[in-house]
Amino acid sequence: MAIRNISEALVLALLSTVAIWGALQVPEASPGETWAGIVPFGAALALGAIAVISLLGALRRANTAGDTPSTGNRGARDVIILFIIAVLYQQSFSWFGYLLPTAIVAPVALYMFGVRSPLGLALSVVLCPLAFHVIFFMLLGVYPPYGEVFDLNEFIQG
Amino acid sequence: MEIFPALLSVITDPVLLGAILLAAIVGMIVGATPGLTASAAIAMLLPITFHMPPLFALAFLYVIGKSGRYGGSIAAILFNTPGTAASAATQIDGYPLARAGKAGKAMKVATISSVIGDFMGDIMLVIGVGFIAALALKLGPPEIFAVYFAAFVVIGSVIGNSVLKGLASALLGIIIAMIGIDPISGEERYTFGMFELSNGIGLVPLMIGVFVLGEVFAQMEERRNHPAKIKSNETTDPDGNQLSWQEYKPCLPHALRGGVIGAAIGVLPGLGSAIAAFISYGEGKRRAKDPEQWGKGKLEGVAAPEAANNAVSGPSMAPLLTLGIPGSTIGAILLGVFLIHGIQVGPTLFLTDKELVYQLFACGILGIFAYGLIGYFGATRVSRIILKIPTQVLYPLIFLTAFIAAFSARGSLFDVTVMTCAGFAGWLMRKYEFNVAAFVISFVLAKGAEETFRQAMLMSKDGAMIFIERPIALAFLILGIAAIALRVRSIMKQRRKAQGALADA
Repeated sequence: MAIRNISEALVLALLSTVAIWGALQVPEASPGETWAGIVPFGAALALGAIAVISLLGALRRANTAGDTPSTGNRGARDVIILFIIAVLYQQSFSWFGYLLPTAIVAPVALYMFGVRSPLGLALSVVLCPLAFHVIFFMLLGVYPPYGEVFDLNEFIQG
Repeated sequence: MEIFPALLSVITDPVLLGAILLAAIVGMIVGATPGLTASAAIAMLLPITFHMPPLFALAFLYVIGKSGRYGGSIAAILFNTPGTAASAATQIDGYPLARAGKAGKAMKVATISSVIGDFMGDIMLVIGVGFIAALALKLGPPEIFAVYFAAFVVIGSVIGNSVLKGLASALLGIIIAMIGIDPISGEERYTFGMFELSNGIGLVPLMIGVFVLGEVFAQMEERRNHPAKIKSNETTDPDGNQLSWQEYKPCLPHALRGGVIGAAIGVLPGLGSAIAAFISYGEGKRRAKDPEQWGKGKLEGVAAPEAANNAVSGPSMAPLLTLGIPGSTIGAILLGVFLIHGIQVGPTLFLTDKELVYQLFACGILGIFAYGLIGYFGATRVSRIILKIPTQVLYPLIFLTAFIAAFSARGSLFDVTVMTCAGFAGWLMRKYEFNVAAFVISFVLAKGAEETFRQAMLMSKDGAMIFIERPIALAFLILGIAAIALRVRSIMKQRRKAQGALADA
């Protein structure tokens, strides 16, 4: 727990440092105006102060209390895998449009959440992209993302 | 009394009535489904409402929020898993009642009390909102900034378990909101040379990410780490029994008191329905003739928190509509809807779009009756639907919907990237007990706060002294500081009590 508290405080300190540095990149104000970086700088400084207070508190608690051993966390590993899938999925829209990536990711997501029926997974390959395409791109009139490498939608429509 | 013509115009619009009814059903199902929240549903449905007229969109989402608050009680009573944080208080007596075979009775008490509380809150809103708006019109930039400051501090320090983490979440929300071109000077901030960032971070993808994708990630982790805790929704017979007037009569004072508590708390930004529900439960138990029976299955123990929980809904709209300060996450999303439809929220709203505001209130009142009727006669059916929802299919579908919903908002692939990153950040914040609500509300408030702060600084000859020289501004600054001090004091007290108990043991 102590390591976790210290890590959290350090992450806050890092975020604060980046935010302060970013705010300082904002050019100075013209005469008669307020500096555009004043609010980001103030917020980043306050975040830094919270990070310092958190760090001091975490160090004090670390000296007085023993650390408990951490237990394994399979869930976090799965979340990270799902996040990587999410990043690849959203990135592939610009390469392959909407239909093909969704047809691939739908059964993967279902499998990760515990669906094991081969028929269900197979159906999701067709039904998920179809349903979302009909609702969003046909009924709501949203313009679908175009796949630069290959676009299944364009291929189907000829 | 602008509400009566507004009610008449809504009642005579069958399409709008249909939307209210649909929203009541959707909200109830979402609220009653453990792991799903009304905020997530509203965030997910937000892009769909772009294609609707403003009143239609606002009414649809507002009623989902109202009905979702009530729906949480169904999960609390039947599944011992509160659908919303506020329903945790209902669970204390609701679940023992369900185990005693009185689930139907408990759900009817929850429905009637929710309707009473919600209705009381809406009446207070309709009567008081014009008065607050008139007052708000007299406030200048220093006073409005001080109100923003108090809201940031209260939201950051009061919600959640840790004051420091709450304040850090609020500050992170402010920093993220600063990304993009400064509207006053035209200078770039935090763009790091990336063109896409110059337009700033969109509210819709951020909300979908934090509330929807973040929740999917959290559910994934929960399923893996605690597979035994995932309930297959087995429960007692939801058919329960009928409720007589003699049975409800002792609950009525608790419902009315809960309504007053909830409505009073609802006006204050950030406190929210969970606090109202627990205060009402505590107050009800304190005044009860048989407090020792509370927690073992008392109908009054369901009535008190449910009325307070729902009474928050209406009054929480008052700071949003009059000052542009959302008091809850649902309020923050509704603020986004107003902005998307080009409606400026604040005191001038009552001059420019008064009719729309009162029509929205009218939709809210009709929404209460809609979920009341559906809940009273159909809560057991709703619970049967929820029993049939396979969560291993539901969450992957929500996962996929998050991407297309984020894209639909502006047809931007960058928004989808923002949503994905926000989802991961939202999961991390939940995991490490940071305050997601404070983060999002602060993100929404930050631009307005910055504008008033800089206007005040331009007005001032003595710099920041303007906030101390003006009495109303000073009062709100003191309120913010007092909120932190009181919260820290209460946490220290709890800690000392816990240490004392440990030493005794």
